[in-house]
Amino acid sequence: MNFANLTLGQYIPTDSFIHSLDPRAKFFSLMFIVSAVFPADNVPEIAIWTLILFVLVHASKISWPSLLRSAKPVMFLVIFTFVFNIIAGLFSDSFINALAHALFMSFRLFILMLFAVMLPLTTAPLELADGLDAMLYPLERFKFPVHECSMMIAMALRFIPLLMQETDKIIRAQLSRGARLDQGNIFKRAMAFMPVLIPLFVIIFRRADEIAIAMEARGYNGGEGRTRRKPLVWKFKDTCAVILSGVIAGVLVFII
Amino acid sequence: MKKKNRNRDDTPLIEVQSVSFSYDAKHTGRALNRVSFFVNRGERIAILGHNGSGKSTLVKIMGGLEAPIEGKCLINGTDIQTMNFRDLRGTIGMVFQDPENQIVAAMVEDDIAFAPENQGLPSNEIQARVDSSIERVNMIHKRDSAVYALSGGEKQRVALAGALAAKVECLILDEATAMLDPKGRIDVENALRELHSEGMTIIQVTHQIEADNFDDIQHVIVLSHGQVIWEGNTSEFWNDAVSLGFGIPDELKVQKYFAEHNIKFPDDLADIKPKILTHTQRDNLAEKFRIENLSFMYDDVNSYVLRNINAKIYSGEWLSVIGRTGSGKSTLVQHLNALYKVQEGKIYFNGSDIPQKGEEVHSLRQKVGLVFQHPEDQLFSPTVREELAFAPKNAGFKNHELDDAILYGLECVSLDKSFLERNPIALSGGERRLVAIASVLSAKPDCIVLDEPLAGLDASYQKKLLSMLSRLRDEGKTVITISHDLNMALNYSDRILMLRDGTVIQEGTPHEVLEGIMNTLEPEAWPDVLRLSSEVRRVNQNFPLLYNYEDFISLIL
Repeated sequence: MNFANLTLGQYIPTDSFIHSLDPRAKFFSLMFIVSAVFPADNVPEIAIWTLILFVLVHASKISWPSLLRSAKPVMFLVIFTFVFNIIAGLFSDSFINALAHALFMSFRLFILMLFAVMLPLTTAPLELADGLDAMLYPLERFKFPVHECSMMIAMALRFIPLLMQETDKIIRAQLSRGARLDQGNIFKRAMAFMPVLIPLFVIIFRRADEIAIAMEARGYNGGEGRTRRKPLVWKFKDTCAVILSGVIAGVLVFII
Repeated sequence: MKKKNRNRDDTPLIEVQSVSFSYDAKHTGRALNRVSFFVNRGERIAILGHNGSGKSTLVKIMGGLEAPIEGKCLINGTDIQTMNFRDLRGTIGMVFQDPENQIVAAMVEDDIAFAPENQGLPSNEIQARVDSSIERVNMIHKRDSAVYALSGGEKQRVALAGALAAKVECLILDEATAMLDPKGRIDVENALRELHSEGMTIIQVTHQIEADNFDDIQHVIVLSHGQVIWEGNTSEFWNDAVSLGFGIPDELKVQKYFAEHNIKFPDDLADIKPKILTHTQRDNLAEKFRIENLSFMYDDVNSYVLRNINAKIYSGEWLSVIGRTGSGKSTLVQHLNALYKVQEGKIYFNGSDIPQKGEEVHSLRQKVGLVFQHPEDQLFSPTVREELAFAPKNAGFKNHELDDAILYGLECVSLDKSFLERNPIALSGGERRLVAIASVLSAKPDCIVLDEPLAGLDASYQKKLLSMLSRLRDEGKTVITISHDLNMALNYSDRILMLRDGTVIQEGTPHEVLEGIMNTLEPEAWPDVLRLSSEVRRVNQNFPLLYNYEDFISLIL
């Protein structure tokens, strides 16, 4: 057990083309890709998407190990899909067919997750917040706290790795005191985690409080009147990226 | 109370006028009580106080983050409460203890830009502010780095630059170097020294003082129980430091001694023929741990954290593990209670292979207690009694054995029985630390490992802990500490294990490792007396290397 290594989409800075795209462009492209991968129902289509993923990862200069590590926390969904499909398939089909179907379904989800995790991996949290801010701006009219929400997401992304480290440290400390975190039935295990959860919540609240104070001390007073060092500028390449992913998605969904 | 006749500007930069503050609604218990002082433009002052003296509250009031219930805080003559938010934030910059809790962005430059962005400046102006601030803290070489790849000292300098970027006139630092290792502290101190020489007003709030960061401080204010109990300049402060409950650095003690005895340093020591000092050595102790060729790497990083470690730890000794941040100290000690499994090499515990799984691991963890850094963060029970019962219960203690174990833990840290029914959250910081340590000792381990046990504690609690650890060692327990605190390692422990980049570079008694310390650490990080004795050595080759004030003086007498 090592929670410190569970990164869940922690930004990895490189000087790639993908990193330099506008966060909104990446977001729209991701929407196209996700909505095309999701209904993909044959092997060639998934094979092409896998190829595209390879191209994207290569272009982003992110190493495969770090990409896979970031996707680790959501891997249980993939495993769950696999197991669920095998069990469901066995009732109506031969084992081989059920296995093939389960493999296909879970692999498709796996590819989907990797595409999704590319967004936070190639976009710095504050940039992501700016992108969300700009995209959701129309909702302000309905009194929706757009800036607050996107700032919250950015802060959460920034502090997830830290909280993972804290969790790891607390688990180690309680194990040192003889805690038995991996024994007994589900209820017992849940209770056994109280010595981890309670200190973790105390730490989270204390950190949140200190961060809020530090942000106020640096003049943060909500989104109003805030400017940017690097304002979002929609460039030609962003248009190209969105059109390209839209076209690829369209071709794969409607033609193949 | 002493009031030094310090010149007061017509309108001081900050003027605190009879400020009181309370955290409860009825204003009965006061965190601050009629605190008054002023800070002139360009001054560097220190506000000292033990934990719970009200200094953090004072910081928040000076920063306009809390409003006083009585009195006023004036910035450039204007009441902070009526001041425009932007003006205030453009005047007072703040840096807090934990760099992680101040850095909002993932990249260095993005973070430094946060304050000017909030001020609504145009982007070229923001970039100019970022450029100049990053230069002022000597971090140009790291401007394109990700924050997570920086060391603690570098992160704190980013936080410093983040405050500077608002073009402030004054920096308030709340324990800003307390969490850093010696190297990080030195780098931050150097940056502060430069800023002050450029005219920046600096207010340092701290519970602990080091001689080297005190040279440039012009004025000291001591806070206790929410009141200013002492005020004066630095040299006056050193005269009264002991009575105010602060320790005096060895370097100053030596300087004072030389001044009193008219000794010119180091020239007058050129002809001294030193006496031979004898050291008590502990012999014939049984081996507790024997570590042979231990190597370790994390699953996902392709480089060794530990490489070919060979070491022995004896029963009934106090071993200090020292080395820079990232040298592998805490990975090493977490092997001793099987939190990390042995990958390559061997560890023998009491002569046989250290257990790696199953019930044997649980019994190992009962015998080898491990106290992490800031263990008070791991408390979770509603009462001290339940907290102390956790480890012995897990180890299988029952009924009167359990009661006995709880009392034993409490006794080890010298807390009385009245603490048992109290809520750990309601205790003071120092008491919480003691309870956390007791909660490991209550399982009656024969070996106790502590990671930075003194970090963040007041001098009085540090003393308590040091004598407690010495007592446990004298009772036959094996004590292992990890620390950056060389004074503790040299003066209290029996032997020292020094790591660098995952390998052992020195193992031996404090005297045997002095050369190793001098070869690996920068002089600013050496203990004062070691630095002084190495200076004497330049004029007198017979002079031994020393680390202890009493030894040093006895040689000169």
